[in-house]
Amino acid sequence: MKGIVFVKFNEFIEELWGEEFWDEILDEADLSSEGAYTTVVTYDDQELFKLIGLVADRQNISEREAQFAFGKWVFKEFYSIAPSGAHDFEDVFEFLHAVQDFIHVEVKKLNPNALVPEFKFLSETSNKLSFHYISPRQLCFFCEGIVYGLAQQIGQAVNVSQSECEHEGGQRCVLVVEKV
Amino acid sequence: MKKHLETQMGKLVLSEFKSVEELQKRIALLERKAEREKKARNIAENQLERYSLEIYQTNQSLKSALAYSTKIRSELEYLGKSSMSIASELTLNEMIGKLVELTCEYCAAEYGFYFVTEYALEIGDTFNKAWSKELGWHCQSGLQRLIGDNLPFSKTDIVDPWFVSVANEVNHHYLKPLGYILYLNFALSGGKTGWLAFWSQMELIDEDIFPVLATARDNLTSGIQKRLTDERILRRNIQLQNLVNDLEKAQRQLIQSEKMASLGQLSASVAHEINNPITFIRSNMEVFKEYLKDYKSLHDDIKSELVKHKNLGMTSFTAICDKFDLTYIDEDSAALLIANIKGLDRVRDIVEDLKSFSHAGDPKLIKVSLNKCVDAALRIAGNVFKYEHQVSNRMTGSCPLVLGDLGQLQQVFMNIFTNAAYAMRGGGKLSIWHTQDNQTVTIHIEDTGCGINEETITKLFTPFFTTKPFGIGLGLSVSYVILEAHSAQVTVDSEIGLGTTFHISFPVSI
Repeated sequence: MKGIVFVKFNEFIEELWGEEFWDEILDEADLSSEGAYTTVVTYDDQELFKLIGLVADRQNISEREAQFAFGKWVFKEFYSIAPSGAHDFEDVFEFLHAVQDFIHVEVKKLNPNALVPEFKFLSETSNKLSFHYISPRQLCFFCEGIVYGLAQQIGQAVNVSQSECEHEGGQRCVLVVEKV
Repeated sequence: MKKHLETQMGKLVLSEFKSVEELQKRIALLERKAEREKKARNIAENQLERYSLEIYQTNQSLKSALAYSTKIRSELEYLGKSSMSIASELTLNEMIGKLVELTCEYCAAEYGFYFVTEYALEIGDTFNKAWSKELGWHCQSGLQRLIGDNLPFSKTDIVDPWFVSVANEVNHHYLKPLGYILYLNFALSGGKTGWLAFWSQMELIDEDIFPVLATARDNLTSGIQKRLTDERILRRNIQLQNLVNDLEKAQRQLIQSEKMASLGQLSASVAHEINNPITFIRSNMEVFKEYLKDYKSLHDDIKSELVKHKNLGMTSFTAICDKFDLTYIDEDSAALLIANIKGLDRVRDIVEDLKSFSHAGDPKLIKVSLNKCVDAALRIAGNVFKYEHQVSNRMTGSCPLVLGDLGQLQQVFMNIFTNAAYAMRGGGKLSIWHTQDNQTVTIHIEDTGCGINEETITKLFTPFFTTKPFGIGLGLSVSYVILEAHSAQVTVDSEIGLGTTFHISFPVSI
């Protein structure tokens, strides 16, 4: 996973629970990287999963909540460093389509080894969109948070849920985004 | 709640920290954080260095790929342009000249040359010219001589690869090196040898150009071979065309000669045909002369009767008329006049037919009536059929027109008619009729003569083959040539003792 995710996770945890907490979970996690994160290298996915697990344990929240909160927080960070073209969208659904059709395509051009999730759109009405979230990382809750963060960023109110989820015994993860 | 150190007036102020222990704990945390950040910075710097190296290597790789592709492009451009010149319609000299220009540019030589030698001697005006990028083809006799002196013109062998030799100038009895000369030679027609040479002032030559030059050389030699072959084919075509023209001329002369020979053979018949009406016309004119005398006597008798009696009564006039049998003279004169006119018409028709028959020159295919053609041929050749012959011409006006030359077709029919007459020396019947299907009309000419055996039928159209004691054997062979020129097909059926039938099929003119 790209170092930017770890750097932002560090910032997120420190902002929420302080430097000491981050220092403590790093100490407990005993990671091979020792928590020396930089945006220009790639780290083992498992380090993030381990850190999320420790945060959830220590803060007495579920991993789903931890992922969701991080996704919702981190969207604005990514948005601020995204190219200006990404700022032209005024609709959540349009943006999600663009993520699949353009943004991930461009990411793959720049980083051919990047592992980006695939959105397979299943149905769409004027206020409801459902899509199949496909990623070997299975960060569907993080994705939910991202969609919330996106809606907040462009000023739309949405509900995000999953009609099916692999973490809850489903065959796949289907995210349902509903404008409210 | 803010949990960080702030600087105030140049010294650290502790805020929110209650004890030294907490402070030490805080310092330790910050040290660990600083350590992580330092390590992360080192990782990032190393990574950036790797990226820089990768970018540098990629850049170098791109530069060499660009240089390689530029080189390949230049090679392909050279080979493509040279192949196009070689495959073009340019003459041999123009093509080689173009190749000199392209090769000179490709191998970055200063000058390019084209020499032709024959038995190791230089020939041609190519020796006065050299090609350079700046000046194009121009006179460079001094340089030309220098290059010529360095090439092994005395060798008549064709060398396979390109050769490179150091260009030397003999100057005050020592050799002064002047760059290199790249050259090759190739065979031209007539034992001549072509030489391409390129002079460069540079000391070294890029060896990579040799495979490309070898390909260009192969293209050049095959191009030269093709042009020489084309020239040979062209020369042979001209020779063949001349032969065909001569043959056609000879054929035309043969047809005309045969026609004249036929006319000679027929002249007695033609003379008889013309003589017959002339004889009876003359005889009729003799009768008219007598009738004129009778009319003169009648006139004298009437005049003397009027002098004697001052008038002429009906009784006297009738008696005078009866004396000369004037009623018979009137009736006979009218009949004789009609016969004379008919006789003269026949003479005129025969003369017209002879004129069209004897007309020489290239056949002019126009729409002709086979019916009229057969009629005319019968009129000219009619006398060959004697009283013991019967001629049944069942050709009608319904016979479609064909594209043909009237005179030549008359000649064909006359030949067949006279042959038929010869086959029916003891008498017989000649029948002529036509049949027709969609595309062709067939004239059938049947005689009841002695017939032709199979062996003779196979030789029937062979020149100089004849069964007549005084024949020359050209009639049917010339007829065959004429019919071929009319896209007509001829077949012959014959039975010994029963007769022969010629079937001549013409394409119908649309």
